[in-house]
Parts: sequence; C-alpha cells; structure tokens
Amino acid sequence: MDINAIQAQLEDDLSAASSAQDIEAIRVKYLGRKGVLADLTGAIGSLPPEERGVFGREVNALKLRITESVSSRLNALNIKASISDKKETDIGLPGIAQELGSSHPIVQVIEEICGIFARMGFSVLEGPEIETEFNNFTGLNIPLDHPSRDAFDTFYLKDYPKLLLRSHTSPMQVRVMKNRKPPLAIVVPGRVYRPDAVDASHLFMFHQIEGLLVDENIKFSDLKGVLEFFAKSVFGSDIKMRFRPHFFPFTEPSAEVDISCIMCKGKGCSVCGRKGWLEILGAGMVHPNVFKHAGYEKGKFTGFAFGMGVERIAMLKYGINDIRLFFENDLRFLKQF
Amino acid sequence: MKVTYNWLKDFVNITLNPKELAEKLTLAGLEVVSLKESSGDSVLEIEITSNRPDWLSIAGIAREVGAITGVKFDMGRFNRLKAKAGSKRRIEISVANEKDCPFYSATVIQGVKVAPSPDWLRKRLESLGCRSINNIVDITNYILFELGQPLHAFDLDALKRPFVAVRRARPEEKIITLDGRQVVLNQEILVIADQDRPVAVAGIMGGKETEVTLDTRNILLESAVFDPVLVRKGRQKTGLQSESAYRFERGVDLKGAKTASLAAQELIRKLAGGKVFSYGSAGASEPSSTTIKVKMSQINSLLGVNVPVLKAKQILSRLGFFVKVKPKETLLVKVPSFRQDVKSYVDVIEEVARIYGYNKIPMSLPAVKPSQSQDGARSSISEVKRVLSALGLNEVITYSLVDRNLLAKSGIGQELAPLEVLNPLSKEQEVLRYSLLPSLIKTVAYNLDQKQECVSIFEVADIFLPSRECPREEASLGIALCGTRSLFLERGLVKDEVGILHIKGILETVFRRLGVGGYSFKPTGNGRVSVVAGRDEAGYMLDLNEQVLAAFGIKNKKIVCAEIRINKLVSAGIPEKKFSGIPRYPAIGRDISFLVKDDISVEDILAEIRTRASSLLSSSRIIDYYQGKQIPSGFRALTISCEYRDKDRTLTEEEVSPLHDALCAGLENKFGIRLRQA
Repeated sequence: MDINAIQAQLEDDLSAASSAQDIEAIRVKYLGRKGVLADLTGAIGSLPPEERGVFGREVNALKLRITESVSSRLNALNIKASISDKKETDIGLPGIAQELGSSHPIVQVIEEICGIFARMGFSVLEGPEIETEFNNFTGLNIPLDHPSRDAFDTFYLKDYPKLLLRSHTSPMQVRVMKNRKPPLAIVVPGRVYRPDAVDASHLFMFHQIEGLLVDENIKFSDLKGVLEFFAKSVFGSDIKMRFRPHFFPFTEPSAEVDISCIMCKGKGCSVCGRKGWLEILGAGMVHPNVFKHAGYEKGKFTGFAFGMGVERIAMLKYGINDIRLFFENDLRFLKQF
Repeated sequence: MKVTYNWLKDFVNITLNPKELAEKLTLAGLEVVSLKESSGDSVLEIEITSNRPDWLSIAGIAREVGAITGVKFDMGRFNRLKAKAGSKRRIEISVANEKDCPFYSATVIQGVKVAPSPDWLRKRLESLGCRSINNIVDITNYILFELGQPLHAFDLDALKRPFVAVRRARPEEKIITLDGRQVVLNQEILVIADQDRPVAVAGIMGGKETEVTLDTRNILLESAVFDPVLVRKGRQKTGLQSESAYRFERGVDLKGAKTASLAAQELIRKLAGGKVFSYGSAGASEPSSTTIKVKMSQINSLLGVNVPVLKAKQILSRLGFFVKVKPKETLLVKVPSFRQDVKSYVDVIEEVARIYGYNKIPMSLPAVKPSQSQDGARSSISEVKRVLSALGLNEVITYSLVDRNLLAKSGIGQELAPLEVLNPLSKEQEVLRYSLLPSLIKTVAYNLDQKQECVSIFEVADIFLPSRECPREEASLGIALCGTRSLFLERGLVKDEVGILHIKGILETVFRRLGVGGYSFKPTGNGRVSVVAGRDEAGYMLDLNEQVLAAFGIKNKKIVCAEIRINKLVSAGIPEKKFSGIPRYPAIGRDISFLVKDDISVEDILAEIRTRASSLLSSSRIIDYYQGKQIPSGFRALTISCEYRDKDRTLTEEEVSPLHDALCAGLENKFGIRLRQA
C-alpha cells in the first residue's frame, strides 16, 4: 500500500473525528496490533532484501507522524471540551471596575492652556486673591479715578483699607516683576472677582489666565506668534485669527484677539452674534509705566502680556451656554468631563 | 456711540459701502457692534474705549475714517466760524476753583423762537437714539454728537443775576434735575449756580427750573470744560447719567469748547433766530501741547515690522498730529489738543500700528529662556487631584464669597469672624469663607436633591483667615462624601455606605502618594478627628451631626468630610522617590486571630506590635475584623497578618515560631486578647 495514500487517509479520518472516542478508534485502526502499520511492518519480510531498509525507515517515519497527528488532534479536542464544559459568563453583565472621578472642566481647561504655554517655555505661577490697590491698579498704570476703572469694578475688603479681591490676574505681573529680573516667561491662572450682576454670561467670580513675557527685544510680532500657537493648539489649526486695536492701561499698543467662530466657521451664527468672530483674549506690549513701577531700567526691556477668561474658552470649547453651570456643580454636569 | 453713514459724509468723502466701512473701523480699534439700516441711512454702533473721548463725536470718527481710507477729512466750515458782534458785551462769570473748571463760557442770545425742530434735525438725533425736545435743546444735543462737546442752554429769564457761578454745592443743597428727580447735593459735587441756588449739576445735568421750554425767549448757552474726576465722582454720587457726563468724564477738548459754542450759535440763528447779546468766559484760553520724539527704529523694533518713515508720517498727519521728520528717521510729533491720551512714544507707536494694520504685522516666535522656578505646591496639588479623581471623587469649584449664614449653619469655625466684603451686590457675596466645607456640604445637599445616590466631591481653593495685621490666605483641600456606593462584583451588587473610614482611606492614599512620612488620626470628640501629618495638625475629618445635616435639609443620610491645609501636606511630603530593593528571600507569614475588648483601639494594638516585635517582623496589618452575633458582646474579632523576613537569607519556621509566640503572649498580657483558632 502506498505510504502517501495512508497519510492522506489518516488526515481525512482525523478531521472527521469529533470526540475522544473517534480518535481512539482511529488510533487502533492505524497503530493497533492489527492496524494498518502492523500490516506494513509485516509486509517488510516479503520484499527483496535491497528494498527492505528504505521501506522500513519510511514505515517508521510514518508511524511517528501518525502518533503525533493523533495526539495533537486529541489535545485540540480536549481544550475545546474543557472550555465548553464551563458555563459562559454573560458578557452583557456590567463590567467590574472602580468608578473614576473627574476633574472640573475649568481646571481641565486651565491645565490644557498652561500646558501649551509650558511647552513654549513659560512657567506656571499662582498669586493671592486678596490684593493691594497698588498691585491691582496703580502698578498697572490704571489711574484710580479714571473711566478705565469702570472695566475693573472691584470688591473691597471691609476693615482693611487698600485691600481688595483682585479683579484680574494682572497684579501678578507687578508681583513677579518686583521680585525678579528678566527674562521672564510666566502664565498665571486663578480666580478673580467682580461685582457683576449674575446672568448666563456673568458671575461675580470667574477664572483668568495671565501671561507675561519680558526680555530684551520682545516684539509685537512675537506676541502674535505666541498667541497664534496657543489659539491653534486649543481650537484647531484651521481657525483664522485677527488682532484688533484696543485699550488697556497696562499695555501699549494693545489688542483684542478674535478667532473665526468655531461653530459656524466664520459665516455668522448665534454663538458669535452673527459676526463670524469670537473674542478670546486681550493682549499688548507691556506699558513702559508698568516697567517703571517695577523699577526696571528705562528702555532696557520690552515684553508682552495677555489675559483671557477661562470660562469663556471652556464654554466655547464644550458648547456650554450658561456660565452658572460651572459653579452649580451638578454631578450630571461634572461627570461629562 | 452711534454714528450714521451720511452724517460722516458731511466731513469725509467715503468711498466704501457701510459694511466695508464697519469692517475697516473694527480693525482700526473702533469696534462696530451693530450696523442697521434706517430710513435711507446706515447707523453704526461703535464701542469706544475709555481712552478716546475724541471718538465720541461724528467729527472724531470721520477723522479716523479719513486716516483709514486715505481720504481728506474736512473741518473747514467750523474753523471759519467767528464770534458775533454782541459778544463784546461781558457777562460776569465766577469760577471758584479753576482746577474744577478749567474753562467756562456763556453766551446770552435774546429773542429766540423756541419751536419743534425741523425734520432733518429731528431725524438725525433720533437715528442716534436721542429724543427730540425743541429746536434749542436739540441744537445743543446735535453739536454734542457732531463735535463731542456737551453744551447746555438755560432759560435766561429763570436765572437770577449774577447769572453764573461755578462752585461746589453747599451741604444739603438740593436741585430738581431735568429728569424730574430731586437730588441732594454735597461739597464734593460741582454745580452751576445763579445768585441763590444751583441751576445745574456741572457737566452732568441741568435743572428743571431753568429748562428751555416753548415759552423761553432768551437763553444762556454754556460751553465749558470740567474736571473729569469731579464729574465722574458727581455722577457716581448723584446716580445721574447723561451723554454730557460720559464725555466730560473722559475729557473734552478745550479748543473744541469754543468751536462748539460758535457752531451752536450759528445753528440757533438759522433755526430759532435771536441775537447774541453778551458773552463771558473764564479760565484757560489755550490748551497746553506736547511734542513727542519717536525714532523709526523704536517703532519698527517694537512692532517687528519695517514701516518707512514717510508712511508713518502720513498716518500720523491724517490722524491730526503735526509731524516733522527731524533729524532723518526721527519723528517729532506734536499732539493736537483733542488727543490728551497720547502722552508717550508708545502711544504714537500704537497709532502707527493701528492704521498700518495689526494684521499686516508678521508673526514670529521669541526665544523663551526656560526658567527652573516652578511653583512647588502646584505640582503637589495636581498630584493630589489626580489621586482623588482616580479614587472616584468629582472635583467641584464653589464660590469663595459666601453668605454669612452658610458658614454659621455648618457649625464650622464658629470662633472665627469671617472677612467681610465692603461692597457686596447681594447677601451671597458678603463674606470670604474661612473653610471650604460649608460650600461642599451645600453642594452635597444640592446633588441629593437631584436624586444622586452617592456624592463624593473635593475642591482645592484658597481660604481666608482674618487676622489683625493682614488677612491670611492659604490653599486648602476639602472633601465631602455622602450616600451609598454601589459596587458591582461578580456575585452581584454590593451596597457600601460611606463613613469616616472612607475619608480616612482617601487621605491615607493621598498621604502615601505624596510621601508624607508619619501621619495619624486622633479623635477629639463630637465626631471630629484630628489629622496629623508630619509633626503638625494638617486638618481634620468630621462626621456631621444631625443638627447640621438638618440645617442643610438633609434627612436620613450622613455626610463625612475633611479639610486639609495644603501647605502642611506639602511640607510633610517627600516628593523625591527612592528605590528600595525588592526582597530576594521569601517571607514567612503568620496570622493572629483574637478577640479583644472593643474599647481597645486597633491603633494601640498595632503600635504595641511595632515596638515589641523583633527586627525580623517586616509588616503587620489588619486583614479582617468582625463584631456581631458570634462574638461575645463588648468584644470584637481581629485578624492581624504578620510577615517575617530577613533580607539576607531564608528564615526557617523554627526561628519564626518562638518570635511570633512571644509576640502573641505579649499582646495577651498587655491587652488581654483571647487567641482564636485561625
């Protein structure tokens, strides 16, 4: 009988086997005392002596192969059997894990923004929320009795004249410059306070991030480059930006920065008030009077500063339409972030 | 500030359509916030920054349009106005203090015919949102809008000679203003007075009794300059608002005051007749002027551009500056009287940049020199927050300003008097909180109302502590837990009601993560547990009592909370991690299961084990505890797992057994524990 034909027949038999009993029957059929292999071995004697050696080796090799095939097929069947023996877990049941908490969306936005500036080499600092009138106003070139103060309505502390709750994060410019010499590159996140009537877009407490870069030869074009990097990092590289001249007492020249509306891509919608643009921050070149208050050598340094409202950016980013949601702390709100 | 397209065209030949014009103005710093069509004209509403009073007029904005579009701006017809013959007769004007009122002029016009205004005048005023009254009043308003100079007309026959004194009001003096309100004045308010009473609140609003009505025949026309600070304070004190005050506060042009008066007289003559009878003025006649020197290199290096000198000169000239180039590449810029905001070279640079176009300035990236100094607490705080949210807590942000009652009803810090705010808008903003917990409890209560089963929240924020010298402000961590956690296990749902041990577990995890060496928890009574980190008390945990819970409207639930001072946490923590080798030899574990009286603290037992045990004891910890039916009352069952290990070799049972037996015997002696079969 042809050895190859036997091998092919074996494989057909094995693949048809579906239980250990079937396999055992196959094993007996081929390897048993009266099996196919036994017949072959018995036939060796009837061959011419010169062919016996070759044929004998082939039969031995076949025997080995059959033994292997049978046992591996048996193994495969056993593994299958052991899996199907145990009852399967209903994977529709809830997964088991400790529920994760959440970081407040405002904190997440602060971390994201500070992270972007940190990548550019800025360090992150924080400052006190109770400030002096000097740091909040005078040191920033804001005269006490000027209409420019109207934009910075402020809570004062009872019993402590000249102390107030900072109405912006800019007083940290004054603090840092008083203690350190350029080069300076900082961002300052924090809470600020203004006696504003509460509605969907105003609160008496909110968050700002202040930025300040001071060195020799810092230019307005640098301000534009840094803010472009920032805005595209937060809102995507396809946004457009524009800089509009504006007035802040502590910067000159000053600018307000708009990005193309992220909802309507600049076509005009309710979010951008049909303008196609969204104001996201104020910025400018540090006013020489601010350097003078800090005691910096006249004309030696230039720099830029910027400030942005975190809630506004978070509202745009997440599509939130009422600022009060941030401080109501409804878990159904918080758990979305 | 509203302007109309056609009115602007009186001054400048605009080639752009209204929409294009609005765009150009916005990009030059005059943000057009609305553009509306109205009876054949377009009304642009522009947001004017507080430094630019010159933009509070049609003429001022027209000048800007000229500079932006490169078209000539023409004020010629106003410059040609001359005073009338009658003005040689003098009116006596007394100004008590020239600082309060640097310039005052009054012109008496006799025989005017007061009547409704002609259509063109009425329409122009109405398009700017100003109600038409009569021709005289409308003319003063028209000039206010056109030239930015507030004017006021009095009914001359209602004034008592001598007509005009500019002085501070006397205490308790009163005036009924044009809007019909009675205003009580004081010495900080400047008034115009006749012989015996105030007839106008200077720069803010005229008096009802001297108002120009249809019966008026003779008028006194005022054109003046008042101290901006005084007008600002007067407006704040009286609560009166007006277009006049708005402009005076920001500063009006002394030169413009005269032009405006002449322009108004001209219109009165045309529309109401009458003749100038007399004139009087007091104060400065010429405004001071400054000249600023700016080098082109200063302009170009601050902006990062390359603007040619002639371009800069052209921009500034069109804005009304008088510019000389002297020497080469240096601009000598004489500031016109209407631009009091331009005081230094940077102001000039902004003017050049504005008209040149911010958007033409390129973008560059500065070489930022990295600095090593990072706020140390900040990274610890971030770590704490990460741990807490990984443990399932939700971060909240609550207001630092709170209602005094909120602090009181929490029962926390009652010995403290919170810092008060001088000018809160409501009760909810009256004090600065000295603890985060009252706000957190309120937040828990809010969420329970929203049918939340379990609330676990934290906040990191500054708290404010009163102190005699200077209030103290420090960062604090607050945690509040309430409700029942649902844990899914393979065998099904397990309900886990949160309690003080949950807070303890959270804090321990935080401490371990920050590398806080020694920490301990010591009950101080009334549900309060002091939390010690390192040497100092870092804060406390609190199991709120029924009374406090009831005050927050919480029933059948318990709230546990904790407040920890961040600085104590940071100072007790060791941020640097040091590797200690993984044990190379196996440990021998021995458990002790025993009954012990339940008034003996586990803390004491563990401490006893630590002091008593041999150096081979590498760890000991509670792995089980039970109190209940199978245990005699007054006792509890504890199982402590002890682990013995030597770092240099494998220990044998024979070595460990006597050590462990001695330990057990020691505990039996000290605490009277009763060993159980494991």
